[in-house]
Amino acid sequence: MIGESATPPARVNRADSTSGTRVPVLQRQLRDFAVAAAIALLIATVAFVAVRNTELRARQTELAMRTAEALVDWRPPLPTVRGVFVSPALPSKKHPMLRHRRIHDYDSAWRPLGGLSMDPTHTDDKLFYDAATRFEQLPALEMVEMMRDGSGRAIAAKATCTGPKKNCNVAIALTSPASPAPFPWLVIIGVLGLGAAIAAAGALIGNTAARAGMFAGVAVLAVPTMLWHAWIAATAILVIGAAVALAQRIQLTDRFATGLSKNRAALSFVAPAGAAMLVLVAVPFAIGIFMGFYDHHAGTWTFVGIDNFVEILSGGGRPLDDALNFWFILGVTVLWTLCNIVLHVSIGVALALLLSRKWIAGRGIFRMLLILPWAIPNYITALMWKGMFNGQYGAFNSILRAVGLDGVDWFTSWANSFAPNVATNTWLGFPFMMIVALGALETIPRELYEAASVDGASSWQRFRHITLPHLRPALGPAVALGSIWTFNMFNVIYLVSAGKPGNSTNILVTDAYRWAFERGERYGMAAAYGTVIFLILLLWTVFGTRMVRRKGDE
Amino acid sequence: MNRRLARGAIAPRPRIHDTGRLATIIAIHVALILLVAIVLYPVLLVCKKAFEPGRHFALSASPIPDHLTTDHFKDLFGARGGHGELLFLRHALNSLIVALSTTVVGVVLSCTAAYALSRFRFPGRHAGLTTFLVVQMFPATLLLLPLYVILDKLGLLNSLAGLVLVYSTTAIPFCVWTLKGYFDTLPRELEEAARIDGASTWMIFRKIILPLARPGLAVTALFSFMTAWNEFIMASTFMTDESKYTLPVLIQSSVGQFSADWGLFAAGAVVTSIPVMIAFYVLQKYLVGGLTAGAVKG
Repeated sequence: MIGESATPPARVNRADSTSGTRVPVLQRQLRDFAVAAAIALLIATVAFVAVRNTELRARQTELAMRTAEALVDWRPPLPTVRGVFVSPALPSKKHPMLRHRRIHDYDSAWRPLGGLSMDPTHTDDKLFYDAATRFEQLPALEMVEMMRDGSGRAIAAKATCTGPKKNCNVAIALTSPASPAPFPWLVIIGVLGLGAAIAAAGALIGNTAARAGMFAGVAVLAVPTMLWHAWIAATAILVIGAAVALAQRIQLTDRFATGLSKNRAALSFVAPAGAAMLVLVAVPFAIGIFMGFYDHHAGTWTFVGIDNFVEILSGGGRPLDDALNFWFILGVTVLWTLCNIVLHVSIGVALALLLSRKWIAGRGIFRMLLILPWAIPNYITALMWKGMFNGQYGAFNSILRAVGLDGVDWFTSWANSFAPNVATNTWLGFPFMMIVALGALETIPRELYEAASVDGASSWQRFRHITLPHLRPALGPAVALGSIWTFNMFNVIYLVSAGKPGNSTNILVTDAYRWAFERGERYGMAAAYGTVIFLILLLWTVFGTRMVRRKGDE
Repeated sequence: MNRRLARGAIAPRPRIHDTGRLATIIAIHVALILLVAIVLYPVLLVCKKAFEPGRHFALSASPIPDHLTTDHFKDLFGARGGHGELLFLRHALNSLIVALSTTVVGVVLSCTAAYALSRFRFPGRHAGLTTFLVVQMFPATLLLLPLYVILDKLGLLNSLAGLVLVYSTTAIPFCVWTLKGYFDTLPRELEEAARIDGASTWMIFRKIILPLARPGLAVTALFSFMTAWNEFIMASTFMTDESKYTLPVLIQSSVGQFSADWGLFAAGAVVTSIPVMIAFYVLQKYLVGGLTAGAVKG
């Protein structure tokens, strides 16, 4: 690095750019350090939060587990931990359908748990009841987890006998609430001051020392993360220090600063939305992509590399007609999108052509009534149509029976589940295309048609050569937009057919949702699905818009 | 079919004595009336159900109820939760809070950015515009899952504030695009004059642009309000506590897997949709322009 800085081209370059904007050395160094330190601080904070949560979790779960073990051996619970025994759910004597549990604090007697005799002072009873129920559903003989209410409590359960769990009392331990360690402000401020001093000292000595000082100053910020054993964060901070030092060397920070000050007004106007997007969209997006490389099971994440993607793209070893095979779902999704777009466009354009006649009586009223489906919230539309396709009471079967046909047992085969989905979405989506087409039709100058008529063009020829070319520029983007909406149309599929029968009418977005929330919290799998869906849509947008543009140019 | 449509599209006002023309006119009106009837049928069924006794749809396909009742509305407004609170009002209030906060966050954070993207040329402008557009095309599940995990870690699951954050992820890009579209239509002469008089960018924005853009701001705000008001899947995933539900979750749960009360659903659907539908009809002509303008330029 030292050798490089002495080479003539770098010198020349430096002389050129500094002659334009002469920034004092120290000010420049501190400016760059501030940027690097802000990023490093962000990383350190994230690392700190992660580390302290892990520690809290480890401490609390151990406390809970040790108490549960103590209870099983009939020893008192550890201090600050509440230990109880919960009986299996036994049928009530009066109403055998009802099942009751009983609870026994370590130092008191059995009493009923929950039910009508619920005592408002026993506020944790529900937690014990639910924990016992969850525990019975697990195959393991012990269970420990953090409460999900943010109180920092852990709950552990352990069977008091080795026989079948259903007949066995459960020892349950619930720790007191605990908050994680406070943020170490003093350490952070101290480290920041030290780092800034080192960077400034470097700058005062000379060029090469300035860059070394920059790196050393930022590296100081990595020290606390090393003490927390947060090695990834420490490495990231060191990389940032090196990157800033290197950026200084090739004048990148100066150029960046000049660019910033030139566009200060514009950039400060963009900043609020930009920062919000960074926090709310970019960070979750990046986390979502990372999650795709992990497997999530019962609260623990395991790195599995590209296994999720391999499982998705290989169909998971399932045959191609299996409803969980990615390619099957992709096929359904594409078919779903195609059917809907074709129906939306043809119905929308047909209605627009009908409505475009200025002499129609009550034209405004017709138009208003025809866009009604667009005005209704789409979850209500979906539920409404689900009701109409109800086998017993639904309107469709009533109509079929009224004309003497048999009712259809909806949602029992692929076709009679897919059709209601498409019908619902068609009803929901044609008004958009109709409005777009109507707008485009109104821009066609009447003279064109008159000239064509004079030249003897048939009405089909006029439609083909005047109407269609005028519709295309408006319908192109509308189709691109509509296809993405339909591809992602979660509500209709989820609420109308709900994937029935047996997942076969799911589209990609609903299947991804089911992996996350309905098939044992397989978050990693769901995130990988999300990434794949995003890539498909990105490809479609890039190539789709290119195709639309090319057609428009012709 | 196309042939006839195309001729109709260009026909000058037809002469009534021409019997062929007269037949066409009648045919078109009949066709339109039929189509409107088909489109309106499901809506009428729901309205009928809202005023008809019983939990299930009646077996007749007619959209006119035999008996009228307001029981479903009484049930809807009278239902009480675990703490004796009136559930519908609670959920309506939740919906209102979430939708209003989302709107405020969306419009306030995006109005300056939209102005800058409309008026200034600066490095990163094109990339920014593309990002704001692409983000609107994300499938809901793509961000839902990471946000769920993050909010879980932050203890913001099951809180209205968390839901506002989630809705802002779609509201901000939407607001930026529609507002930018509106700012593009405003004339620049006033700003140039003010700049010559020595006004700063911020002053121009505050004193000239914002007052001029009031209609655009109103429309954008109303649309982001409606989007949040109508959102279902995020709310039902993130909210587990009945007192934190929003209206869509309430309405969906009234026709859940095990106990479907279509009367209650219909009453809820009518009450929730009417304000949104009114807003929609007032604003719909702005929506198409905004959406397709964004798509064409992207």
